[in-house]
Amino acid sequence: MKYLLLLFIVIVVTLSCEKDKVDHIPTPYILDIPSHFPVMQIPEDNPMTVEGVALGRRLFYEKQLSGDNTISCAACHSPSNAFSDPNQYSEGIDGILGTRNSMALINVGWNDFFFWDGRAKTLEEQILIPVEDPIEMHDNWASVMSTISTDLTYKNMFFEAFQTTDIDSTHAAKAIAQFIRTMISGSSKYDVMYKAENNLLLTVSEQNIYSTVTPQETAGYDLFKSLNGADCFHCHNGPLVQVQKFSNNGLDAIFTDNGRGAITENLNDMGKFKVPTLRNIEYSGPYMHDGRFETLDEVIEHYSSGVQISSTIDPLIEFASQGGVQLDAFEKDLVKKFLLTLTDETFINNPDFQEPK
Amino acid sequence: MSAFVQLVLFFFGVLSLTSCKSDKPEINIPFSDTLSISVQPVFGGEPLFLDSSYQTPEGYDIQFTDIKFYFQDVRNGEYLFKEAALFDYRLRGTSFIETAGDKEFYENIQANLGVSSLVNHNDPVGFDPNSWLYISNSNDMHWDWNPGYIFVKIEAKVDTIQDGNPLFNHNVIFHVGKDENIKTVSFIGINWISIGSGDVFPLKLDLLHFLDTGSSSIDVKTEFTSHTLAGQDGLSAKVMDNFKEALTPF
Repeated sequence: MKYLLLLFIVIVVTLSCEKDKVDHIPTPYILDIPSHFPVMQIPEDNPMTVEGVALGRRLFYEKQLSGDNTISCAACHSPSNAFSDPNQYSEGIDGILGTRNSMALINVGWNDFFFWDGRAKTLEEQILIPVEDPIEMHDNWASVMSTISTDLTYKNMFFEAFQTTDIDSTHAAKAIAQFIRTMISGSSKYDVMYKAENNLLLTVSEQNIYSTVTPQETAGYDLFKSLNGADCFHCHNGPLVQVQKFSNNGLDAIFTDNGRGAITENLNDMGKFKVPTLRNIEYSGPYMHDGRFETLDEVIEHYSSGVQISSTIDPLIEFASQGGVQLDAFEKDLVKKFLLTLTDETFINNPDFQEPK
Repeated sequence: MSAFVQLVLFFFGVLSLTSCKSDKPEINIPFSDTLSISVQPVFGGEPLFLDSSYQTPEGYDIQFTDIKFYFQDVRNGEYLFKEAALFDYRLRGTSFIETAGDKEFYENIQANLGVSSLVNHNDPVGFDPNSWLYISNSNDMHWDWNPGYIFVKIEAKVDTIQDGNPLFNHNVIFHVGKDENIKTVSFIGINWISIGSGDVFPLKLDLLHFLDTGSSSIDVKTEFTSHTLAGQDGLSAKVMDNFKEALTPF
């Protein structure tokens, strides 16, 4: 009887000492989408969570993702440059330059395809590529994840975000994608002009901003939309200031980069590239897929008088036969003034997008 | 217990049992049919492929690069077939509209070729995200609130200089919208074709007929641009009229 009692006490003590199962339910992340924007389609297998976004933000700035621990995603997507690279070409860890300018990460959650040539169909797929690209971060995910998984903070963050102890590239890409989807720019002067033009309700602060819109900015907007003016709106319209398509915008008569055509191997896609957003264009230079233009003045001059005809030129560049839309100096200045209304300082300086402490 | 009491108890027992019986579930007969409308662009007698060369009635080589159009309020009387549909040949090929339904209800179909003024100027973010009128789905088929949607978009490149050098440097752009240009199309006595578990109503869009409809022909050398602006009214109307005529059952 005495032994039985002892056994009973031992069992009770053992059971009471059993460690509780650690469990964590991630907190849904509510995106702050401007009222004039469409709904963002979130992949079913990667719902937005507060923990996922926090992990993605840390990974975005993580230099251990590169082969020699010197560069992170932010190296080529710098916050102060509208999450793009101020250099024409980005330099990888081995000192090799790329051949295209780094794309600005703005409202990427609404994009249908990724990279200038659209070779990635999802954001998660795109994120996996630079880490292993020999001219970029030149590492491999297995090695990166092996290093990351020794870090207790990361272990906890992965668990909190995905309830898994298996730290792998898929979850890393999902987390970074979640962070990038939070990078929404919709608070520029342009947004207020756009809403006012379309009779959408303006808040008091928006009304105050609207009262600062100058006649030159309005005139520039009119030129931007005018078919007989700058004719920009065919490719850059709506709240995202871009349509989802590939276009040859008349940069070259003979292509040095086949762009989309190199992916599809279709002759009709040669020299076509993804149409980018013009949001925060003041900060996202240099411009075009190869960063050939350093300033907005050069960009406007291209569309005004520098358009080159080729077999795949976008038919919507209707004045191509005369080299462009032929703006005079005054009109060019107006268009530039309008383009500067696309700057969204609250996006550039958003503390939630900066490197975590 | 008296027989009366037993009878009352029995009665209440039966009553309570029947009163607890759950309501009959509503009968929802799922539509077994998938009904779809397809559109095959053709050029005269042959299937039309984008970026391939065809010859206009005037003898110019032409390559179509984009063909898109809207149907809206697609229905047979009281039976709605689809609120709106966008044809995009480059992106989705010949697929146009797909819906669950019973072909018995759709022997005839009527639709707007374009978007009714009742919704044309609505906030495109205000539609259901699954609607083809929703801003993300309309993409470059929505101008802005004022002109609304582009009803018919045809883009092409033409070689107007017949010197044997295929330059294709003459652009043709028809972007036609605005309320006054909307058309109604009607298809009567539809012959649905059973394919697999669904039924298809195939349409063809003959772009040779679109260019060459007798008195209303379009010579793309001289009539090559319409953005439905003031001064382009005649060509805009012609584009819509010809397009309607070119769209027929296969």
